[in-house]
Amino acid sequence: MEAHSLSWRRFLWAPLLVTILLLVPPQAVFFWMSLHRQTGTDGLTLDNYARVLTDGFYLGSLWTTVWLSLVATLLALLAGFPTAYILARTRSAWISALIVLLLVSSFVTIVIKVLGLSLVLGRQGVVNELLLALALIDQPLILLNNNIGVVIGLVQYTLPFLVMLLFSVIQTIPGSLEEAAELHGATRLSMFRRVVLPLAMPGLIAGSLIVFNLNMGAFTSAVLLGGGRVLTLPVVIQRKILLDVDYPIAATLATLLVGVVFLINVASALLVRRRAAGA
Amino acid sequence: MKPLGQTFRQAPFWFAALVVYAFLLGPILAVILASFEAGQAYHFAFPPKNFSFEWYGKIPHRYLHALGVSVLVAGVSAVIATLLGAAAALALVRGRLPATELLQSYFRLPLQIPFVVTGVVFLQFYNHLAIATGIDVLGTVAGLIVAHVFVTIPYSIGTVGSVLIRANPRLEEAARTLGASEAAVFRRVLLPTLRPGLFAGFFYAFIVSFGDVPISIFIASAKMTTLPVEIFSTLQFDFDPAILALSTIVVAFSALLILGAQKFAGFDLVLPSAKQ
Repeated sequence: MEAHSLSWRRFLWAPLLVTILLLVPPQAVFFWMSLHRQTGTDGLTLDNYARVLTDGFYLGSLWTTVWLSLVATLLALLAGFPTAYILARTRSAWISALIVLLLVSSFVTIVIKVLGLSLVLGRQGVVNELLLALALIDQPLILLNNNIGVVIGLVQYTLPFLVMLLFSVIQTIPGSLEEAAELHGATRLSMFRRVVLPLAMPGLIAGSLIVFNLNMGAFTSAVLLGGGRVLTLPVVIQRKILLDVDYPIAATLATLLVGVVFLINVASALLVRRRAAGA
Repeated sequence: MKPLGQTFRQAPFWFAALVVYAFLLGPILAVILASFEAGQAYHFAFPPKNFSFEWYGKIPHRYLHALGVSVLVAGVSAVIATLLGAAAALALVRGRLPATELLQSYFRLPLQIPFVVTGVVFLQFYNHLAIATGIDVLGTVAGLIVAHVFVTIPYSIGTVGSVLIRANPRLEEAARTLGASEAAVFRRVLLPTLRPGLFAGFFYAFIVSFGDVPISIFIASAKMTTLPVEIFSTLQFDFDPAILALSTIVVAFSALLILGAQKFAGFDLVLPSAKQ
């Protein structure tokens, strides 16, 4: 047995070498770049970081990225949880068809979905026409090229993944627990709060973090549905590279983005651990 | 059993699900419908007012070229990523390695870095590589494949790993005891066990690579680009209705791929889990 587990270890070498080769040198070159003012001229400096962290424009961009990501994550949770719940709790032949549709939605590339959103959300798009026809609004809403457009795009991007993830989480909660709670007189609401939510909580937190991370790095929907007016960090990074050809600042911003995402994840992990320990 | 009452109380949930499905499928449906609308650009109606396949005949050659590049890049990177990921999964699950957890988080790193950062990082890396060695992979299929392999390896580690954890190693022991050679054990016992995980890993890798914009946009060139990047630039700069027809073909292709993956790998592997 021991001999066999040793022979399995040989398999580690190829993937480990390839990933180290693809991870370390590129990241090192990149990080090195963020420590220089211009490509390979002067010595090491923290100037770029000082510039980025004192410039209102970059800090504003960071703030926009964080709060749009938060809003989009909350909206995805609010819409995704009940959907996942109903999919996991209904025994019907329709469910597998509904899941295939969910898979289609999550695996059609976001560019095509953004193309569709720009057809639907325009001034004369079907959404505005519907709302006008129902007399819910008396002027077309502006749903593109602003924060609203970007948030809609972000939710479109992450929601199918979140629903599938929560679906598998809720499936692991035995339905009999809910029935037991109801038999003992719990109302639907308190059953939900006392039984379903606590049991789903680890999955909910993991799912929210995944969605939040995806939102922070979201590029396609931020560029296309923000119409150049919503400058999240991924958008600014692309502009620094393609328009300004300012690689050192782009590298600094990218490092900042990765760092902030990492810190937020570590902080929430610590928070969860402390709460779990306290409970 | 009180199905009617149950349904009634679940009504708010069903309503939420309905809204979610309309939201998720509406845009895709809009693209499909608009692609059949003759003459009109950037508009759609149901049923299409002037139904025609006009735009399907007008797909410019460069879009078809981009589609070819996308399929090639996604296919090759998915094969490489699946093999490397499967090897890593075998070592991680069966190797009883020291620091297995650390290695697992290490292998998940490519998914923790935003793809746009990975794109910029590889652009810079390729630039420096060209200066240092004279090998310039920017704007080539090879350059795209290398970057795509990097971000898709974690998927097959996840799918093959979860198949392996469920598999029973005693089956292999039994085969060995009965005199099977190592090669036969691998081919007859292990490979059939791994197959759904391999399929699912390939499927994930293919779909992630095939749909990618934020990495490819920095590595592709005007002559050598992928379909999502073409659609992206069309949307950002000059709209061409032929892109609707092409997108519809891609949607149909993705749907077929999903049905295939589900058939070969099953739902539980295709669905993401909180662990990954």
